[in-house]
Order: sequence, then C-alpha cells, then structure tokens
Amino acid sequence: MYEGLSSPNIHTPNNLGEYASTILHYPTSSLWAGGTFIMSRPDSYPSRTMNAEIIYLGDIEELHRFQRNDRFAEFGSMVTLDEIVSTGKTVLPHVLIDNIQTIGSRLITRRATIGGTISTKGFTTSFPGTLITLDTTAEVKFIKKKRLHSRWMQITRLLDKSGRIALPPQGMISRVRIAFSEKNCQFFSEVGSFMLDPENSVAVAFTATLDQDILINPKIAFTYPTHGICYSRDIDSIFSSLRFPLDDSEISTLESMIFTFVESSFQNISDLQRTRTSGIVREIVDDLNERTLTVSNESR
Amino acid sequence: MKIDCTIDGKTLTLSLNSDKPLSLILRENTGDDAVVNHCNGAMCGLCTVLVDGKAMLSCMVPAFEIRGKTVTTFDSFRKTKNMKDIEKAYESVGSFPCQDCYASRSLIFESLIDEGITDPEEILKELSIIKCPCMDPEDEINIVLKGIEARRKRNVRRTQFA
Repeated sequence: MYEGLSSPNIHTPNNLGEYASTILHYPTSSLWAGGTFIMSRPDSYPSRTMNAEIIYLGDIEELHRFQRNDRFAEFGSMVTLDEIVSTGKTVLPHVLIDNIQTIGSRLITRRATIGGTISTKGFTTSFPGTLITLDTTAEVKFIKKKRLHSRWMQITRLLDKSGRIALPPQGMISRVRIAFSEKNCQFFSEVGSFMLDPENSVAVAFTATLDQDILINPKIAFTYPTHGICYSRDIDSIFSSLRFPLDDSEISTLESMIFTFVESSFQNISDLQRTRTSGIVREIVDDLNERTLTVSNESR
Repeated sequence: MKIDCTIDGKTLTLSLNSDKPLSLILRENTGDDAVVNHCNGAMCGLCTVLVDGKAMLSCMVPAFEIRGKTVTTFDSFRKTKNMKDIEKAYESVGSFPCQDCYASRSLIFESLIDEGITDPEEILKELSIIKCPCMDPEDEINIVLKGIEARRKRNVRRTQFA
C-alpha cells in the first residue's frame, strides 16, 4: 500500500525570519497550520499528490500571540478557534462565536486555526464569510524581491473573481484583526456539514444595525464550500433599501434578486443548496420583521 | 523520518513517513494492540487518544506533530486510577457506553474531568463528535459531574495523607 511513497520533508521554522528563508529555498512547499482540513480528506494518506516539502507553522511563536484594545482584537494566524472562544467569548461579535460553535466539538476547534480556516486550498470554510461581514482585516506576508513583505488587507480584497480567498504567491496570513462590532443584528446559520457533505451545504453570515425599520450598513455573505463566497455590495445595498417588515411578495422579490447575484457567481449550485439558501434568507427576514414589529409596538 | 515520542508510557523512536496519521501509527507501528479506529478522516470520533493529556482525534494528528509528546491510548489508560473515577461515575449514574464507543467516550470524559468543565452545553458539544446514540445526553453530563467530584475527593484525600 505504501510502496514507493516518499516521506515529505517537514520544515519547522521558529520565527518569521526562518520562515522567510525556508520559503525562499522551497518556493513550492505547502504551508501546514492545524491540518484539520488536510487530514480529513479521504486521500490525505497515503498520497502521491501531496507536496514533498511542508512548512509547519506551529513553532513560530509570533503566530500564537493575541492582543486586544478597546476597538479590536488581534489574533496570530496560529491561534486556534477554541482559544478565540475562550479568550473573547464576551467581547467578540456573537456572529463569530456562533460560527465557531457550529463547527462542532472542541476536539476539532482545538486544532483548527484562524489562519488555516481562512486560507484553505481548494475549499472554502464558513469562517471567511463571517469575517467579511465584520470588516476584518488580515496581515498578509509575502515574498517580493527575495524579501519578506507584509501588508494589511481587508478580507474582501483577498477574494478573487471566483469567490475564493487568493493569497499572493508564497504568501501567508500572519495576523487577523477583528473589530468589536456594535451592530445589533448579527446572524449566522450553517445548514449541512461543510466537512462531510460540502456539495449540499451552505452558510450565511449577516450583520447590520437595525434602526427603526431600516438597516444601516448591512453585510451578507453566502458561503458554498466547493464554490466559494458570494459577497456583493449590490446585495448589501438591496438590504439597505428595504423597509421592514416585509410581506411575502417582497420576500420573494428579495430572494430572486439574491439568487440572480449568487447564480451569476456560481452557476452550478445544487438544488438543495438553493433551497437551503432560500430558507436561511427567510429566517433572517423573519427575524428582522419580528424585531421591527417588537420595536414599533414598544414605542407605542 | 525519525520521531521520538512516548506512547503508552514507552519511549519510542519510530522511523516512518512524516505525514502518517497517528491512528495508523498506533495500528501499524507500535506493535501493541491499541484499540484505535482509522476512519480515514471521516471524523467518526472513535480514534480518540490523549496527547499530552488532551483528547484528540488521532486521524487528524500527523506523525511530525507527536515529536516529543506523550500519547496515551485507552489500552494503558484503562489501568489508571483516573479510569477508576470514570468507572465509578458510570456505576453511580447507572449508564455505560456500548462496546464500540467505550474507549473513545471514556477518553473524552477524562479530558473533560481533567479540565473541570461543568457547563452542560460544553460537555455535550465536546461529546458530539461521537455519533453513537448509546448514551443519554443527561447521563453524559452527570457522568462528567460525578467524575469531577470523585477526582476532587481523591485529590483531597491524597493531600491529607501527604
């Protein structure tokens, strides 16, 4: 079974300087963060397609740091999702905490890292979509003219045309800065299992400030694991133009407008994904309707 | 690749592929009869082992990550006093896991008891990785609480004698 299988070389840099020299020597190497996604693929071992060089980021101390001030929390890319929940449960936006908690048991979140969940190759986790709705920025480190450069970029800027997170060649995310959101409407829903049934699952993250019957600065991101993230400012502006509560016909119009955008990005989403997306949109609108009606009743 | 690690109390130097999952190492390389499933990444939860005292899915841990670490499988854990606490908790609650998930469920209970987690939601979330429906969620919570109590009593007794 393992005949002819070569063992990958593991490089374990201890700091970012060592990382830079390693990636310069082995430009085609794969980066290994928590490994939850790589190890959960059925063909992960034995694998003949796996890269012969692996750079393990777990020993880089800079990537394990986290700090916070009164405006934002900043996490190194190797901080695990479990550490994020345990350190920031009370201060971080609850859409983010909900997202982490839907991932499942701590046996998984203890290994999955924030950097790894954003930059998974060929697959999109539900995490970057949520970070987009929170205006998160990430520090991207990349090699240019044989030197390590870094730049802070919004996660939306990392999305390519196909809806996937695209880092510069030999680039990696080193830090993620999440602002403490004061938006009063935060919603996250994941239907289906991203890891076990990626063809049929969908996740939606939504944040906005509901002021009387209108939404201020709404952001919504739809994530389809095998396709990518559908985020458009046009969908956001549709939401800001709405006046709540919406009736059934308005909800249907909103749904068809959303699907026009989703299908312009991803033509072949499955019927189940379509139904599930529609269900989540209705859930969000129902929640907003309920809040608007509650507020207007209270003000009477 | 040569890897030094401690598995079930034995210090070993293993020569193996650097990306080989721990579940396969335990089945093929260590030579003992460790009861560990290899689901090939399907997250069945039945391959749970303790790595440095924390429950982990062994199919998710590559060989290079166990360098210098202590791995405990259920084979050696069943002989410890900590397992006796868990057995007592099973008895006092009157509920036992089935044969298939006994090992992995006990190791997750140990991890929860060791961390002293009493929040029912957290307990159920951690145990949700095991899909086997043989136990009632309420029993699972009670087992952890009883286990923590038994562990605390044992620690108090130990300090009194010391």
